[in-house]
Amino acid sequence: MQLKYFYIILFILFFAASSKRNSGDSNQNFELLTKQTSYVAGDVISIQFNGKASTSSYLLCSNSYGTIVVKPSIENATFKFTLPKSFTNKTGIINWELIGNSSFKTGILEVLPQSNVKAIETYIGPPSIEAGEKDYTMLVTIPTDSLDNALSDSTAVTVKHQFLDKNYSEKITIKNGIAYQNIYSEREDGRIIISSECLGLDSKEYDVNVTPAIPTNFSINYKRIHEYADGNQITTLQTSVLKDVYDNIVSDGTFVTFFLTDSNGLKSSTSGTTIKGVATATFLHPDHQERYNVKAYVEGMAESNTINITYKKAIETFEVKFSEDKRTISIGPIKSFMSQLVPDGLNVTTKIYKDGTLDNTIIKETRNGFARLQLDKNRYPKGVYKIEFYAAGISKTFSSINYE
Amino acid sequence: MLLEYQKPLVPSTMSNTNKNIIRVVLMLTYIIMIGLVVYGISSIYAYLNTGADRSKMLHTEVKKIDQYLPQITWQPLDNEGRPMDSQTLKEIETDYLDAWYVKHVAYKTNTIEGIADYYTESSRKNLYNIIHLNTENNTSIEATTLSHNPKLDFFSEDGQLVVLTDYDVVEYKRIFINNNLISEVTETSDYRVTFLLEDGFWRIRHMVKLEHRPFENQIIQNTLKIDIKGINYYPQTTAWDMYGDNFNANTIVKDFEIIKNANLNSIRIFVPYETFGKANVDTKKLNQVKQLLDIAKDKNFKVLITLFDFYGDYSVLDWTLTQQHAKKIVTALKDHESLLGWDIKNEPNLDFESRGESLVTAWLDKMIDLVKSIDGNHPVTIGWSNIESCKILKEKLDFISFHYYENLDDLSEAYTNLKSKIKDKPIAITEFGISSYSGFWKPFGPSENDQAEYHKTIQSTFTEQNIPFMSWTLYDFPKIPKEVMGRLPWRKNAQKHFGFIDEKGIKKPSFEYISSKE
Repeated sequence: MQLKYFYIILFILFFAASSKRNSGDSNQNFELLTKQTSYVAGDVISIQFNGKASTSSYLLCSNSYGTIVVKPSIENATFKFTLPKSFTNKTGIINWELIGNSSFKTGILEVLPQSNVKAIETYIGPPSIEAGEKDYTMLVTIPTDSLDNALSDSTAVTVKHQFLDKNYSEKITIKNGIAYQNIYSEREDGRIIISSECLGLDSKEYDVNVTPAIPTNFSINYKRIHEYADGNQITTLQTSVLKDVYDNIVSDGTFVTFFLTDSNGLKSSTSGTTIKGVATATFLHPDHQERYNVKAYVEGMAESNTINITYKKAIETFEVKFSEDKRTISIGPIKSFMSQLVPDGLNVTTKIYKDGTLDNTIIKETRNGFARLQLDKNRYPKGVYKIEFYAAGISKTFSSINYE
Repeated sequence: MLLEYQKPLVPSTMSNTNKNIIRVVLMLTYIIMIGLVVYGISSIYAYLNTGADRSKMLHTEVKKIDQYLPQITWQPLDNEGRPMDSQTLKEIETDYLDAWYVKHVAYKTNTIEGIADYYTESSRKNLYNIIHLNTENNTSIEATTLSHNPKLDFFSEDGQLVVLTDYDVVEYKRIFINNNLISEVTETSDYRVTFLLEDGFWRIRHMVKLEHRPFENQIIQNTLKIDIKGINYYPQTTAWDMYGDNFNANTIVKDFEIIKNANLNSIRIFVPYETFGKANVDTKKLNQVKQLLDIAKDKNFKVLITLFDFYGDYSVLDWTLTQQHAKKIVTALKDHESLLGWDIKNEPNLDFESRGESLVTAWLDKMIDLVKSIDGNHPVTIGWSNIESCKILKEKLDFISFHYYENLDDLSEAYTNLKSKIKDKPIAITEFGISSYSGFWKPFGPSENDQAEYHKTIQSTFTEQNIPFMSWTLYDFPKIPKEVMGRLPWRKNAQKHFGFIDEKGIKKPSFEYISSKE
């Protein structure tokens, strides 16, 4: 029986790849009997000495996580220390030190990971990347054995991924306890399906979205009901289909801003987000003759051509009627391009000057084609006033209105 | 008539007084009762209003305090994966060191406090297993790491996973069984650590010890380049408390002039540990020490700096803080021309009884290593309080120093004896002296003439044996902080009169023997 044990030790020793050191003071009467220094996680490790152990003999052992003290079991002329299972389950160096009355011995053991795999921990990120063969996501795997030890370096891991109609498979090796692989995007957008395999164990399926790259320059056009500046209808601006450099339609929700510059150089903007590559935005027709230059931007990425939109005069003129005391003023009827009454809500601005200075500005909206206003006696006492009326880009001036 | 009328009055006054007393007592009782009831209700109300404090739920209020600061030197960044930025690296460093710290605390106390914050769910089991084993065996381990040299191996593209290898981690451990120290070890190991970023913490997922070597430290020996003839120095009015607002450069210039003219060539000063800000050294005070060294340079004499004054903790988990303290001070002053050397600690052997000789010695041992690793040019010593302690750590020290307050007759023999044991190193006496106090608390104490006689005798011994010396001290001190000698008046008053110059600034007879004659 003992002989068998001896042979087993000899056998393991023969195959132990790396021989580790065992050092100690030679002058002691304790002799280290256990010659094995390389173990696999989960092995029973016991360290045997020849000699008489005293009651205060301990074996101080440190592994990757901490230090414990083991008490000996004594058998006739030898004594041995059996390391607890939970302690020998972890890979790494175990250094031990025999503490006894007068003896001092130290040694080093190595615990290697098992050569089977229980789980493959997978970390993948970033979860979405850009099309165009430049951006990539990284797959990091930590294959572990049944005792939660990272497998030995240089163990092979196969990384597989699928994109569109292509399947890929690549072999990588574990280094520093992990194996990683960069997976690059292709020219098309879509979804990459990724998995890994190590020592016959397959991982779950993971996916990474490949989003289109940034849009390239595009063109815009517009649609409207009619070309009149009636201040009522809506003009719709629309982009062409926004695409990246690889002809992928940009992601929905790409924000497009349209800048409108009027004939006075004043700017206003409207915006929209893309759906299937097309962004639309709307704005109200001006209420006076106008010509807009429109250009759209995806800020910091792309821009459109410039288009012109011209609005024709819808209202040629309007009348102003004063009451007898000239304090009740009715402006209208204001008629649009087919002589129809303008829709309610056209702004009519009245500016009242007294002694050459602007006294007040009143803005009224039309209703049924008319804007009406009443100038109160107390607010505008006796005197000569100049009154100007503005509507739809037309102005009428009454330079001397005399109030009693 | 009057008398008759008065008679019944007496008892009635008495009963009135009694009634008043009862009234007052009742009212006071009532007030106290109401007070207690209100206090009780408010306590309950306050208790019910505390608890689920949102700011505490999210680790927003975690304040950084210095509790674990081993030396950490990052290798140049050359990692695979994503390039590392300094902020993330700092976060990893903090969490990594905290992981070591909670581990040390856990193994010291065999509790699991804090482990969950710094180890992932699967890796913390490994620590729990060890805690379980150690609890069963009544084992506890006090440990610390003194130096780390991590090299970043890998940083994942999404910034969530890091692998580093920490080379030459110096670990010091004290192993206790049933609270008895059974062993102390110093080890050097390499660890490979895998971290995952979870809940804002860089948690350890895997930890593997790659290499283990016995701790080796090359001892650099430095020679004492000066024939010490010195004195311990505190300004007269600010003894033991001369830095900060008390620092006065003018006083020091004047005092140094006196010292210079007295044929002395060196002084010994003290750097208090706590007053200097522990691990976070107060730069203002450090600059004052520099200023003092500058003044010494002008007078062309040398300064022996005694570190860790008033330090007495020594607990293993406190070591990194003390090392940090020493590192900052030594780094700042090591190139100063007037630096004589380093006295690691004043009379540490007095702490043997309360802290244990092995613990204090281990602390000193590691501190010598640290000081020498930073300053390879100046000699290091320890100012032992007695001649018997001189054998401790003698191989590591560059010169031996002890304090002598015993009988003068024995000095010559004791010194010769020591010299025969320590042949290759200079042995200095860095404190000696006698108080000239004889007064109410010590009516038959030595007089000023006795003091002069003492110094005359000891100086002749010094000359005879060629002993380097530093006396205690220049001045009589009008006030002494209670931390120094305690509150006992007979000790305090004696300590006030060790000077060569009295409280009024007049040189005592002993001043003539402040230094050797030649």
